[in-house]
Amino acid sequence: MGWFEDWIKSGDAVSDIGGGALGAAGLALAKKGYEDVGEIGERAYAGLAGEGGLAEQLRGMLEFQPYTVTSATGGQFGMTQDPTTGQMTYQMATSPEEQALQQQTLANAGMFFNQAAMPVDQREQDIFQRMRTAMSPEEERQRLEMEQRMAAQGRLGVRTAQFGGTPEQLALAKAQEEARNTAMLNAMQFAGQEQQRQAQLGTGMLSAGYVPQAQLLAALQPGMTAAERQRQSLSEQAGTYGQTYASGLQALLQSALGQANIAGGVGGSIARASLGGLFGPST
Amino acid sequence: MAQEIKSITLVAPAFKGINTEDSPLAQDPSFAESADNAVIDKRGRIAARKGLSVLTTDKTELGTGKLRAIKEFRDNLGNTKIFSVGNNKILSGTTVLADETPGSYTITSDNWKIVNFNDNVYFFQRGYEPLVYNNTGGAVVKLSTVAGAAGVVAAMYGNEVLAAYGRLWTADFTTDKSTVYWSDLLIGHDWTGGTSGSINLSKVWPDGFDEIVALSAHNNLLIIFGKHSIVVYEGADSPATMRLVDTIAGVGCVDRDTVQYTGTDVLFLSQTGLRSFGRTVQEKSMPMSSLSGTITTDIIRLIRGTGEIFKSVYHPEESFYLITFTNQAITFCFDVRGTLENGAYRVTRWPGTGFTCYGRKDNGDLLIGSRFGIGQYTGYKDNNLPYRFKYFSPELTFGDASKLKFLKRLRPTLVGGSGANAIFTWSYDFGTLFSSAEVGIRSQGRSDFNLSEYPVYSELSGYGISSTGDVDIGEVVVVNKFLGDFTSAPTIGSGGGALLEGDSYFDTAADIFYVYISSAFVDLDTLVPASVGEFSDGELVSRNSINANGSGSTITIGLEADINGEELSIQDINVLALIGKTL
Repeated sequence: MGWFEDWIKSGDAVSDIGGGALGAAGLALAKKGYEDVGEIGERAYAGLAGEGGLAEQLRGMLEFQPYTVTSATGGQFGMTQDPTTGQMTYQMATSPEEQALQQQTLANAGMFFNQAAMPVDQREQDIFQRMRTAMSPEEERQRLEMEQRMAAQGRLGVRTAQFGGTPEQLALAKAQEEARNTAMLNAMQFAGQEQQRQAQLGTGMLSAGYVPQAQLLAALQPGMTAAERQRQSLSEQAGTYGQTYASGLQALLQSALGQANIAGGVGGSIARASLGGLFGPST
Repeated sequence: MAQEIKSITLVAPAFKGINTEDSPLAQDPSFAESADNAVIDKRGRIAARKGLSVLTTDKTELGTGKLRAIKEFRDNLGNTKIFSVGNNKILSGTTVLADETPGSYTITSDNWKIVNFNDNVYFFQRGYEPLVYNNTGGAVVKLSTVAGAAGVVAAMYGNEVLAAYGRLWTADFTTDKSTVYWSDLLIGHDWTGGTSGSINLSKVWPDGFDEIVALSAHNNLLIIFGKHSIVVYEGADSPATMRLVDTIAGVGCVDRDTVQYTGTDVLFLSQTGLRSFGRTVQEKSMPMSSLSGTITTDIIRLIRGTGEIFKSVYHPEESFYLITFTNQAITFCFDVRGTLENGAYRVTRWPGTGFTCYGRKDNGDLLIGSRFGIGQYTGYKDNNLPYRFKYFSPELTFGDASKLKFLKRLRPTLVGGSGANAIFTWSYDFGTLFSSAEVGIRSQGRSDFNLSEYPVYSELSGYGISSTGDVDIGEVVVVNKFLGDFTSAPTIGSGGGALLEGDSYFDTAADIFYVYISSAFVDLDTLVPASVGEFSDGELVSRNSINANGSGSTITIGLEADINGEELSIQDINVLALIGKTL
């Protein structure tokens, strides 16, 4: 356009204008205006989608930003992207203490599950033996007391077809045998309950083993929120930049388009004027 | 100056029995230094014992052996049978001894104990399967062959058996001397079922160890005699719960066959003499009463005889307890009517009797076993032979042992002994050289005076009716109830009641004495007395006077007499002695 303005201001146009020359000039000017519009379109394309254009800039501006979240107990959550493949990778690591705790609780859980999975009969026997161990001193005291009483009554050596020994000895033996049977049944019941309890403990331990991880994930939320906000902010910034960039570019294009229109209009007018004088009255 | 003849009467001499324990000088004249073949009679006098009236006429099965045990079998139906053992056989019967030994059952010892229990009689001896007899089976059989027998094994072949509290109890086995077994209730052949059982006393003996010798039952107590100790259980009617109530250390029983239950007491021979449980019942403890305190040394010496066989019997009718040391042929007779001041029974000695075992029949007869078979304690001969009754006083001082005595005359009062010769002896100052004098006791005749005869009519005796009268003059004064004189037969009995068997009346019209027999009045003259008892002239009392001689500070007086069918007792001995100077 500069040349056109310069050309107009210089008065060379009037002087240059002359018959067909002037029309040719007008056509040339219109042609130039036309060509400028096409150039403006290319410039707009290049500015928006071309290399280094707005799209590319916005793409760079809106790319994923790796971030890391660190919990209060030292656990970390990191989100990265492979620069080559673009594959997203997140890394989550609890603190060494938490890892130790997790390992311990998981080991315990395994232990409890193992115990729960063991055959019950051996456990029943063990419990029964422990109950018998607890009962034996009292039974021994009762036996000794009975023995003493029998000795005092001179009946230690009594053997009967009806009772085996004395009726008292039979009663004591029956009571002890009943207690033994009860202990056996209790041992069976207790072993079953214990098995259930161990399974529950295993489950509890298993749950507890993942608590650090869960807590880390829970702690990640605020971090993720912050990252999201940052991402949103960046996105807004990019959007604003894009809009601004596009507005500027659009203004430029409008301006160029205006200039091209002017040039085209002027050139057309000149051409029409020049050609009209030739081919018709001017209006 | 002539000295006064002092008359000292020994009233009922030796009525306290033998005393060989106290000093002869200090002894009460009521004791005897020796009292052989004597008893204390019902009047407290020393008297000749009864003799052995042998019942057995055929002792082929006994052979040259001796009877070692006698038992009368009785059952609830009243069946009885006399069993005895000897010559390694089980025998039965009294006049003829029949072999009841089961077939293929070999016996080499006669140490049986026999008990009645629940319509059976059981035979127990160590190491031998027990035998049993009942009236239904009719034969002595091995216990294991009885239907339902259980637990009849060698372990329970005991030497001691007791029937008490509804069971049989046995103890003293070949290898086990501490266990008592009891049978099932009322079943003497079941030793493993029901309420049968056993008790081992090895941890009960008060001295730590002993061996069971005998068992006895008294006052709901089970008394278990060891050799050196005794344990007493209460509540033996339920053996499973019976409990020890007393133990006695240091006093045991020498032999199973010395234990006798007297109804109120249990007598047994310990190592130190005859003992009883009399005070136990009263005091609920065991202070032992010595019942042979007057012959302790003698009896201990006899007990120590090797292989001695002891036999004893308690005979309430005669009120004595006999303990015989059969190998040494000595029997002590303890009078159980009462005790002396020291708690001892009055005791006499029966030497050389040949009695080897005893058995009391339910009717009170005392059966005696010997080499002659079975005899009865009755009469006054030993198998139709006389035996020697002997009494010796302790040393008599007449109140002062320091003064010289001149024995002048003996004037004994003897009761009975018809036709016997009594030999009085005396010696001085513990000498063994006796002076003697023989006294013939007059023979006691039979006397008739007025109502001197007891006719026994068989027609009346069946009703238990006796009569009194003089058969010779045809007089019967009483035949049961004399209703009075009538001219015709009365129709109403005594007191307006019905006529009873044996009622009698005198028919004044016919001059006939009628007696009511089998619902009709019968002329008594038509009946023939089965026997006629006669009155004697009462108790024969002899008071012979014997001149004595010699002198000394102490005097021993004795009496010996052969008892040959007549009883003899010493009522008193009057001693006339001249008391001389002080030595």
